[in-house]
Amino acid sequence: MLEGAEFYFNVDHGYLEGLVRGCKASLLTQQDYINLVQCETLEDVKIHLQTTDYGNFLANETNPLTVSKIDTEMRKKLCREFEYFRNHSLEPLSTFFTYMTCSYMIDNVILLMNAALQKKSVKEILVKCHPLGRFTEMEAVNIAETPSDLFNAVLVETPLAPFFQDCMSENTLDELNIELLRNKLYKSYLEAFYKFCKNHGDVTAEIMCPILEFEADRRAFIITLNSFGTELSKDDRETLYPTCGKLYPEGLRLLAQAEDFDQMRRVAEHYGVYKPLFEAVGDGSGGKTLEDVFYEHEVQMNVLAFNRQFHYGVFYAYTKLKEQEMRNIVWIAECISQRHRTKINSYIPIL
Amino acid sequence: MGSLFRSETMCLAQLFLQSGTAYECLSALGEKGLVQFRDLNQNVSSFQRKFVGEVKRCEELERILAYLVQEINRADIPLPEGETSPPAPPLKQVLEMQEQLQKLEVELREVTKNKEKLRKNLLELIEYTHMLRVTKTFVKRNVEFEPTYEEFPPLENDSLLDYSCMQRLGAKLGFVSGLINQGKVEAFEKMLWRVCKGYTIVTYAELDEPLEDPETGEVIKWYVFLISFWGEQIGHKVKKICDCYHCHVYPYPNTAEERKEIQEGLNTRIQDLYTVLHKTEDYLRQVLCKAAESVYSHVIQVKKMKAIYHMLNMCSFDVTNKCLIAEVWCPEADLHDLRRALEDGSRESGATIPSFMNTIPTKETPPTLIRTNKFTEGFQNIVDAYGVGSYREVNPALFTIITFPFLFAVMFGDFGHGFVMFLFALLLVLNENHPRLKQSQEIMRMFFNGRYILLLMGLFSVYTGLIYNDCFSKSVNLFGSGWNVSAMYSSSHAPAERRRMVLWNDSVVRRSRVLQLDPSVPGVFQGPYPLGIDPIWNLATNRLTFLNSFKMKMSVILGIIHMTFGVILGIFNHLHFRKKFNIYLVSVPELLFMLCIFGYLIFMIVYKWLVYSAETSRVAPSILIEFINMFLFPASETNGLYAGQEHVQRLLLAVTALSVPVLFLGKPLFLLWLHNGRSCFGVSRSGYTLIRKDSEEEVSLLGSQDIEEGNNQMEDGCREMTCEEFNFGEILMTQVIHSIEYCLGCISNTASYLRLWALSLAHAQLSDVLWTMLVRVGLRVDTTYGVLLLLPVIALFAVLTIFILLIMEGLSAFLHAIRLHWVEFQNKFYVGAGTKFVPFSFRLLSSKFSDDVA
Repeated sequence: MLEGAEFYFNVDHGYLEGLVRGCKASLLTQQDYINLVQCETLEDVKIHLQTTDYGNFLANETNPLTVSKIDTEMRKKLCREFEYFRNHSLEPLSTFFTYMTCSYMIDNVILLMNAALQKKSVKEILVKCHPLGRFTEMEAVNIAETPSDLFNAVLVETPLAPFFQDCMSENTLDELNIELLRNKLYKSYLEAFYKFCKNHGDVTAEIMCPILEFEADRRAFIITLNSFGTELSKDDRETLYPTCGKLYPEGLRLLAQAEDFDQMRRVAEHYGVYKPLFEAVGDGSGGKTLEDVFYEHEVQMNVLAFNRQFHYGVFYAYTKLKEQEMRNIVWIAECISQRHRTKINSYIPIL
Repeated sequence: MGSLFRSETMCLAQLFLQSGTAYECLSALGEKGLVQFRDLNQNVSSFQRKFVGEVKRCEELERILAYLVQEINRADIPLPEGETSPPAPPLKQVLEMQEQLQKLEVELREVTKNKEKLRKNLLELIEYTHMLRVTKTFVKRNVEFEPTYEEFPPLENDSLLDYSCMQRLGAKLGFVSGLINQGKVEAFEKMLWRVCKGYTIVTYAELDEPLEDPETGEVIKWYVFLISFWGEQIGHKVKKICDCYHCHVYPYPNTAEERKEIQEGLNTRIQDLYTVLHKTEDYLRQVLCKAAESVYSHVIQVKKMKAIYHMLNMCSFDVTNKCLIAEVWCPEADLHDLRRALEDGSRESGATIPSFMNTIPTKETPPTLIRTNKFTEGFQNIVDAYGVGSYREVNPALFTIITFPFLFAVMFGDFGHGFVMFLFALLLVLNENHPRLKQSQEIMRMFFNGRYILLLMGLFSVYTGLIYNDCFSKSVNLFGSGWNVSAMYSSSHAPAERRRMVLWNDSVVRRSRVLQLDPSVPGVFQGPYPLGIDPIWNLATNRLTFLNSFKMKMSVILGIIHMTFGVILGIFNHLHFRKKFNIYLVSVPELLFMLCIFGYLIFMIVYKWLVYSAETSRVAPSILIEFINMFLFPASETNGLYAGQEHVQRLLLAVTALSVPVLFLGKPLFLLWLHNGRSCFGVSRSGYTLIRKDSEEEVSLLGSQDIEEGNNQMEDGCREMTCEEFNFGEILMTQVIHSIEYCLGCISNTASYLRLWALSLAHAQLSDVLWTMLVRVGLRVDTTYGVLLLLPVIALFAVLTIFILLIMEGLSAFLHAIRLHWVEFQNKFYVGAGTKFVPFSFRLLSSKFSDDVA
């Protein structure tokens, strides 16, 4: 790629960038959250959301309102926006969008496979699938019995195909293997996405690489955390770590050896970025969970992405911020509907 | 005129609405659209307000109505739009209406659901018959090999074993058949191949007629497919793949009799379904027709009701909770109507205690209301687009009505073009009640809203076109030119005169390419043309030089008059706002500054026009040089315009120079003096402090009194007293910046008015180019072909004239006229920091369906 994206960026992507910045301005503000938290019922939430950019997206819902209805409608709205961006995008932005959807596709495939394992009907699960990661072949996932089967029969023509290179095995699909498959897919997906952004260069690389590095490291931490006390061996664990993060290679090796949370924390302390994050984690009662801390950091990075112009990162950042906002609203709505007000304030504010 | 010159006086009124009658009162107010409500619950979030429940109910009704409208539209039943808008429903009727609507909705939903179900059923049956029909041909093709396997030649020795084996295989030979979306066929086949590794045979054929998709209702092309496969495992997979691609799978009959049987059964069922469906549809139509009659009035009523509750949400309750208190802005002229509306509302609801109002004094700036009619509206919009005028400020829209089209026309001066524009606008004005025009979209709407502006613009362009004597770039010789060419020939003069003058004779005329008319020769110039520019200039080679000089001077004169007028309007503002010191300290120095420099320039221009004639033109001094010399005091004396010019100029310059410091410092120092209790500067400190104390006491006294009054009137106390703090530095800075802007602006704005000249020049040149490039070419061709050529040429000329000269040039002139008004004219006096008065009026609600179906 030539240097100096600003010379030609707007020719192809100027309109979409303007659009996404406008959309970003419609994210809920601090004041909106304060008002939402004061709501007594879901109806109140609906009324308040009407005054925001969501408009009357719930107007056609029949009573009674439930959290899942709100969630689906919000997802639909995000999906509509995303589809619009995608349909109006040109290469290489459209490839970038494809990469963005891949993570949702992986989640959907894994969800469907789990469902097939538990002999649930596909229809029922399809509703739960994330609309951004929908694809036609998705429903045929339950035909497959081994990962290579899955690859050969179902996914060979989807964008997910290249990520399957490392996970072709003849193992039967039980719960553990599916989880391993998910992590391996994610690993190769993140690495591929990282490579794509790196090769694209320019501001996009400058913005997206740190975000993806963080994403990779977060996965490494979470995998480590989740593998404590399971039958996963340390070597296996190491193969699951995405290698495009800041932790690679030393940190990952150390993480693979970690046996409890304290050891993990010690690994993180070698890194200036993660040290404050782990320090912010409260222990046991009260305080934030590691997940929340990571989310907060992610939000921060995504908000900062809007400070630069002429790059694709804004699209990624916007989608992620919107997702966080949806999680927040769902959290608040859930707290309201379950009358569980003590924790209602632990949403993650978007700056 | 009075109402357009300044915005109307407003007063803040408190309405005490008895809680029982509040709804009716607001309904009456909304019909009249008299008042603007102030939000008294600003810090209460939207879902915590009093009437949230009622608003919710309205929204529920709106949802039902939107559903009804959607269904009615889908059934293609015309929606009658009422002429009159029904009043907001009385509270007693609301419940009834709600029940009625809900019942209707439930019924409708049920019927449509049934209908959809029937339709789906029917479509599926139709698909099935199509499938059977198409697959029959497949089987015919298959027949060739089918018998070979069924009547497999049994081998003698182990026929039994073989036969049973065949039986088993035969049992497992399965068929899946159905319909698939056209777009998915390829992927479907590929997937089948990959999953079943080729153990299937797929045959498919395109269905010749597109069918409706039972799920989405879309009409699309379908493919009928037949998959034959071996083995149960594969069968499962095939079925799953069919599910995945949303195929419509139907059972496949194995034998011909079965097929026939099914087909017959299907046909009868389809017949039955058709009749049932018809009946259902008829019923549905009846229900919808009945609903359509009242849906319009319901939509309007609910909208009004919702608006009323929104307004009620802005009111606060008094202590006893018995009445609502609303604060409204109301034009003083309408107070009487307001009282009557309240009485009407109370009477209607039959309340014992009537609602009433009283006005309260306030220090807040009221919103600006300028009543407009359809003629003045467009001009007011031009002004409002810059900024809504501050309360009671001089409204430039009144003058814009004339100056705007005039300045436009100066730039667009062409008789022909102006006339076309005038005709277009006249067409719009005469047909303004036509419904198509009223509902037109985007660009057409823009023209329609500005029709009166266009009308005046066209009219003024005709006038300036006559002055410039331009009609499609050609001059019109209406009164006969004032120049006489024959007088230039030497034969027409006495020999004694011939010597003095340069005259023409035959050889001169024959040899020279350009001939010069000399106005000083007697008889050549017979006096000015009665109106505008003499048409003879159209033939002259120095036409541009002549016109440029004229247009340049004209634009400077117009500009300076326009700006001076702006400054004078400022005086009216100062008089009205009782800031007389502003007149002496700001407006008068500004006027002096402007007039002493640029007013004098105008004087010189006019003086030169009047004093110098054709004979003395050679000794006429250049205005430019004179004007520059006015500032530079050159050593060498030129022969000026008139005697004593130098002294006059020095005097003017001195006045200009003196007015600048007054402009810079006068107002701040005066305000400082006022603030310091009118004591003189430099008086002993003690006196100054004493007086200051006094005034402070006075102020505090006044303040407490005010506060007490405020307490008496009402408790919520949301009216804050903004006591202006005196900050000398700030005032000085503002005034200095304003003065610098003004002084520099005088020069740059005057130059800015030269765009009048530039644009009119560009317009004239462009139309000239169009003429020479097109029509002249067409006219030059000899007569036989010329006729054929002229037709397309004139068509092209007309199209280019309309698009380039009328629309493009018109827009550019429009833009520049707007700029001259906003920047050059309005910055002399117009603040434009007001807020518009937005009355609570039902008329502002849209009365169309299109908005609520979205």
